This record gives sequence, structure tokens and C-alpha cells, in this order.
Amino acid sequence: MHDQPLLDVSNLTVNLLTAKSAVCPVDGVSYSVRQGECLAIVGESGSGKTVMNFAPLGLMPTGVTTMLSGSVKLEGRELIGLPETEIQKLRGKSVGFIFQDPMSALNPVRRIGRQIAEMAELHLNLTPRAAEARALELVKLVGISDPAARLRQYPHELSGGLRQRIVIAIALAGEPKLLIADEPTTALDVTVQAQILRLLKDVQRRLNMAMVLITHDMGVVAGAADNIVVMYAARAAECGPVDKVLVSPRHPYTRGLINAIPRREDPIGSEFRGLPGIPPTLGAPIRGCALAPRCELAVPACGNSRPPLVRSDDSAVLVACPVVNQGKAAA
Amino acid sequence: MTQAPVLKVENLQTRFKSVQRGKYVHAVDDVSIELYPGEIVGLVGESGCGKSTLGRTIVGLEKATSGRVLLDGVDLTTLSGAALRDSRRALQYVFQDPYSSLNDRQTVGEAIDEALVIAGTRSPEERDRRTKELLDQVGLASAVRDRHTRELSGGQRQRVAIARSLAVNPRVLICDEPVSALDLSIRAQVMNLFLRLQKDLGVACLFIAHDLALVRQAASRVYVMYLGKIVEHGSSRELYDHPSHPYSQMLLASAPEVDPRIEKNRRGPLMIGEVPSPTNPPSGCRFRTRCPLAVDDCAKAMPPSRVLSPEHTAACTFAADLHRGKRSALLQQEVSAA
Repeated sequence: MHDQPLLDVSNLTVNLLTAKSAVCPVDGVSYSVRQGECLAIVGESGSGKTVMNFAPLGLMPTGVTTMLSGSVKLEGRELIGLPETEIQKLRGKSVGFIFQDPMSALNPVRRIGRQIAEMAELHLNLTPRAAEARALELVKLVGISDPAARLRQYPHELSGGLRQRIVIAIALAGEPKLLIADEPTTALDVTVQAQILRLLKDVQRRLNMAMVLITHDMGVVAGAADNIVVMYAARAAECGPVDKVLVSPRHPYTRGLINAIPRREDPIGSEFRGLPGIPPTLGAPIRGCALAPRCELAVPACGNSRPPLVRSDDSAVLVACPVVNQGKAAA
Repeated sequence: MTQAPVLKVENLQTRFKSVQRGKYVHAVDDVSIELYPGEIVGLVGESGCGKSTLGRTIVGLEKATSGRVLLDGVDLTTLSGAALRDSRRALQYVFQDPYSSLNDRQTVGEAIDEALVIAGTRSPEERDRRTKELLDQVGLASAVRDRHTRELSGGQRQRVAIARSLAVNPRVLICDEPVSALDLSIRAQVMNLFLRLQKDLGVACLFIAHDLALVRQAASRVYVMYLGKIVEHGSSRELYDHPSHPYSQMLLASAPEVDPRIEKNRRGPLMIGEVPSPTNPPSGCRFRTRCPLAVDDCAKAMPPSRVLSPEHTAACTFAADLHRGKRSALLQQEVSAA
């Protein structure tokens, strides 16, 4: 059982249809997370990192038809094709969510305590009284001072960092096995960001949960995650252990992203490093490698066919770049 | 610096009425800063510290309660009407979010043309010539001119917004988080544009940001703001190498490392708590409630700014010790945590 991943996604493709357009924000992506592990999914806006995690759990805006193919297995159970009522039972119970903006994730007209207790009542079948006790426990767990008083407050009375702690408490209320955190620190200050990241890492270890951390910020990844998937234009560009991918990135996009972060030794007033060009728009189909127009390694063959993810010279790291992988067979 | 500052802010105060009757939110409290021609100066701090309000007060989007904003020696806070409009042309603002600062229904050409009309360029031929020139200056292809702003990417939109603010030949740009809404791979392009504008046009920039690493590379000097006050000021080299206010030290230490070998072994301290409410700021030093070095005296009076070197001041009783490395807010916290 221990060897089997808790979440196993293989060849997931998401097609979204609206009245006017059809886009494919996720195109054949595979990854897995084991119990007690944290996987970071990194990509720019529009790279498909959020849709990939939310679409299989039915969290999509109304007015959009979602078409899924491939396989998403949670504890061995296939999620694609499950009826909405079954998915609903998983959300908040087996899978906890943490959203980017804590103010819009909380109900502004209900007290904090009730919002946490509600989850415990619904998913753990607790009595209201027992649920309140559980809420108090959870608020203590996420490191909030004066917990009993906080439970009686409303979200607007709390600071951004405290609100995010409440959102985390709510996500933990159903005793989830998997925690999906979508940009959990983006709306927060750098000082509070460090506190929240440390808290997330801490509860994840203590409760032995699996965690998927969705982010655009490479800086967030290093301290929290064990493995990483780098997304570019709906596809995975590179994946592997954080210690390897961040230290010696192989894919030109990963290299570009890490290289773009200003370093202490950069002279003051010097040019900023970055990738040239702009990311492709979602609607347009891409035949070859999506990065080719921005890539310094690109050769004419890059435009011909989509590069597969191939095991690199380090067997733990997979890279989707024909130039980097020259001479290696597909994994 | 022998040159006269192009922008000088003196003892500026901006306060808002609080919802609590009779109380005020002291967003900017007795702030003095200077900007010399052609330099990029950073203004950093956590959200709610008043850095955006300071920028907005300088350009007149908020009304100053007291203090002066001198642009080329002319006090903007005493002007009104046409005189204010004329003087203020040399001072432009670049907003954080290029998705809300541009009109979706305009083409790029129209958006820039509008700015030129407002700037008083009458002749259509002249406006046409300037639009081309501005597009070129911000690195946009002339083909973009007939596209609607809604069709552009975030980075391109921010370039259009910058072109609009350049239309009046400003001498000072106030940039409020101009790249934080942009994707990482695009940020460098827009940052390099600011560096080029500074070099080519000699525009001075006040760069308001929370990303310390970004500011370090772009700015020659940095102001650190906390709860409405400037707590430390220095050249980028001085400030980043020898941060001398406990707040600056902890702010710098909070920035995450990308290298997991460093980040995972870092047992470093964390900033305690969050910024207190500016309605009821702590007495004395405003940082004392979160400061690991705070002593009883810190509650009595706001510590005066201490000059550490010709280009470096910090408002902390222990600034001299911190500057020499004899004492450290970070070390102190580790000791008390252990």
C-alpha cells in the first residue's frame, strides 16, 4: 500500500468548451503524489496548472463544459466518469482545498467558528457541539493565538495571514488525505508568506497528508516541495525531485525561469535576465514544442512534433525537449 | 550629489477618517524623501505600510493632510486648477494592473493619442509622429497600433500604459508595483524597459514594490517603509549588505531561496505576527511590537534617524550596533526561541 501513490494522474487531458470557444488548457499530463509527499506544480498564468487540479474534482465555473480524458486515481479509485454526487463527497473530505485569496474563500457574514465547524459536521458526522470543539482544536493546530476568541470573529476582523490560517483550518476539518493548495501565499506579504509556508509544511508532515502546491513562484517551491512538475502551455516541460530540478534544471524553460530570478551577486543597475517573447495564447493549437519561438536551443525539428517527456541522464528527472534529450529513447 | 532633487517630499502626512468615530488612519506619517534626476529609487515594505498611499499622495490622487511635495522646487500641495495641471505633467503614475488601467475598447493607437491630446499636442501629424516614437521607446511593434488593448498580453499592456505616461515627457515616474501582475518570464523584459528609459530619457523613477530582490537590482537607493514611516534609507549596496533596522533585517531574511540545498537547511527565524493597525499605531517605535530587540525605552518615543554613513540612515536606537554587525535582530530571535 505504501508504494502505491495516493493520487495518480496519467495522461490527463482537459478540454473546455464555452458558447464561443474551445480550449485545451491541459494536454496529456501525468504525475503522482504519495502519502506524506508534497508535489509542486509550477507554471505561468494560463499554463493549465490550476485547471489540471480542479477540473477532475468538478471545480469549474458554470457555463463551461469540461471534457476530461485520461485517468485520475485517488487511492486507487478512478475519478473521471464518477457522478457529481460521488465527487461532491470527496471534496472537503478526502481532498482539502486552499485557495489563493482567503477573503473570497470565506463567508463574510458568518463567524469563523461556524465556518470551520460546518465542515466537521458535514464530513465527519459530528454533532454541532462536537464540531465546535473540533473547530477549536483546528484553530490551535494552525497556530492562532487566543483561539476561543477568534472563533467568534468574522473574517473582516482578521488580517490576511490569519484569514489564510482559517482557510487552512477549514481545509483540514474533514481530515483530508490530499491537500490541494492553489497559490496559497500569493496574496500575502513576503513575511507572512514564510509563516504560512512553514505552517503548511508542518501540518502536512504531522498529519501525513499528500499535498499538491500550485504556484508560479519558484521561491515557494524549494522549502516546501519534494517533487516538482514545471508546466508550459498545457504540457509538462520537466518533472523530478526538487533537489535535482531546481539545482540543475535541464529544460530550457525551467532554466529560463530560474535564471530570471534576480540574484544577490547581480550588479546594481544591470540588465534583468528573462525569456524573450511571450507565452502562446490558449486557443491556438501548437504542433511542435510550444516553447520553440522563445527557446535559445530551438532547431527546425522542434516545430515538427510535440516533444515527449523522456528520462534524462538522471533517471529521476524527465524532460520534454528533443535537443536536451538528443539520442535518448522515449521513456 | 550636487544636483538639485527633481522631487522632494517634506514631512508629508496623509490620513484618512476611520470608521471608528473621531479616529484617523495614519497611512503616511511625516515622510520625507528625495528623488534626483535620472535615478531609480526603491520604496519597499509590507502591504498596508502606506507605500502606495505615499505614491498616490505625491501625484495628487490622495490629498495630503500636511507637508509639501516639491517638484522642481514648486510645491504641488498649494496649487490648484490649471496651475496644478501644468506642473503635474512632469509627474506621471504607472499602475500595478495593466488590465484595469487601460480602456478595453480603445486601440493601442487611440490610447496613446488620448494621452497626447490631454498633454496638449494639437496637431494630428505631430501626435501621429509621437505615437510612433512612443511605441518604439517602449519596444512595441508599430503593427500593434491598430489592435485593441484587450487583445494584448499583460506585458504588452503594461508597455502601452508606460507609453501613455511617457506621452507628456515626464521627469518623474511613480511606478506602483509595475511588474507584480506580470508573469515571471515577462517581468525581466519590462524591468529592462525601465532601466533603458532611465538611461535614454533621464526619467527618475520611484519604484514601489514588495519584491526586494527586484528592487535591489534596479534601484540605486532604497527607502524602507513601515506603518507610515520611513525606517531606513540607504544606497542599495549599503542597505542590502548592512541592513541596520531590525525590520529591514527581518524583511530581507523572509525572502525565500530558490536553491533547495539552502532553503531546506535554513532554520532561520520568521517575522513575528503582522503589521498592526495604522488606526492605533504602537507608541514610540512602531516596529517595537514585532521587534526581537525591543526594550522598554522603545515605547516612549519614536527613535530619531541615525546617520550611519553619508548615504545611510536608520531609525532605530541600536542602528549603529546593527550596522557594525555587533547585534542582529535575527540572532536575537534565535536566542530567545531556543
